[in-house]
Amino acid sequence: MADAAVLQGLLSRVALGDRAAFRTLYDATAASLFGVAIRIVNRRDRAEDVLQDAFVNVWHRAGTYSAAASQPMTWLTAIVRNRALDVLRADTLRVTESLNDEETGETDEPSDDRPDPLGLFEQAADALSIRDCLDQIRGPQRQCLALAYYHGLSHSEVAAQIASPIGSVKVWIRRGLDRLKRCLDRLQ
Amino acid sequence: MNYDRPELLDRLAAEYVFGSMTPLARRRFHRLRRQLPAAEAAARDWERRLMPLSTVVPAEPPPSRLWDAIDQRTGGARTKSPSRGWRAWLQPALGLAFGVLATIGFVQLYPEALVPIDSIVQSRGTLPQSYVGLLTDAQNNPVLLLSSTRHGRTLAIKRLRPLDVPAGRIAVLWALPRDGRPFVVGALPSGEHATMPLADESEKLFFTVPRLAVSFESVQPGPDGAPGDFVLSGHCVKLW
Repeated sequence: MADAAVLQGLLSRVALGDRAAFRTLYDATAASLFGVAIRIVNRRDRAEDVLQDAFVNVWHRAGTYSAAASQPMTWLTAIVRNRALDVLRADTLRVTESLNDEETGETDEPSDDRPDPLGLFEQAADALSIRDCLDQIRGPQRQCLALAYYHGLSHSEVAAQIASPIGSVKVWIRRGLDRLKRCLDRLQ
Repeated sequence: MNYDRPELLDRLAAEYVFGSMTPLARRRFHRLRRQLPAAEAAARDWERRLMPLSTVVPAEPPPSRLWDAIDQRTGGARTKSPSRGWRAWLQPALGLAFGVLATIGFVQLYPEALVPIDSIVQSRGTLPQSYVGLLTDAQNNPVLLLSSTRHGRTLAIKRLRPLDVPAGRIAVLWALPRDGRPFVVGALPSGEHATMPLADESEKLFFTVPRLAVSFESVQPGPDGAPGDFVLSGHCVKLW
């Protein structure tokens, strides 16, 4: 992954309309960001739309990026995650509406070939050397956090996936986030 | 909700950045980020805090067509076509100036497209102080002429070419301010000549807006919604 200072320089050039800098920024970061998008929306065609929208957004909003407020990859990743989550939520509404309309026929829900989100969560814990800290988050909490973060599932979707009451899921996520905050803040 | 409580903002920001919020809650928080610096700061803190979790997600090279699409949508591909003669030379060189001249030229051709605020002024043949936008498509064809008097609250819309809105979608007009995020002006009504009410005086809405654009959306975005593809765009010009 490109050095933060290099990306900051590229973003400041993009803000001035420098297309060569924009292309360089894309080349340096698109693969990482595409991976993030695919993990959330679970469809390559959707992930392509997400990444396209995200980079068009970057082109228009590069002038609003502040190096003092966030690292370049954090800013870029947040743009991609937000777009992916918005797309995912809109897809959920469309599926719900089509079910409400009682359309017959197959749904086009793709099979989920994504790596297990819990595995990614634990991999992150190891990579960040916070495994001991995160191991204090109980199993169900950990699973909720992983499903929410890596697959963008809402509370109700997590509850359906792990067959637990939505009330429990909300509490697990809230407590899990408190614990996660303490673990991650120790890294800063 | 009492957004003065930091712990509430922190919790909302965490759930927003983490991704577990419902669509409605997400839209509300989008809006809150714009309106409340403390909410924006809380969201940025969580984005920073959670960023390391994303570093383990495997990278995946996107297909090469993706850059072509991005390039075209951000105006890059337009400058590459060799067969457009003088336009291919003029556009990259004059960009903004051309857009402004084209806008003024069209207004002189179509003064009746402007909102007639005063019949006396109209009969004199002089244009009232107005904000004007000429929006073009990806092929640089002028499609929409928009205008509003400087202190008016109505936008006049003249379609210069048909705008094919896909089934199930609406055309949404966006303002792209110099600083800050694009914001929704409103859903475009159909018809060759139409008007649209504005949320505030033109002067207050468009004073710091150099560009306008149109996207196709499935629903009208909320106040802090993010735009989809821009199918039309152009300069927002002050005519006085």
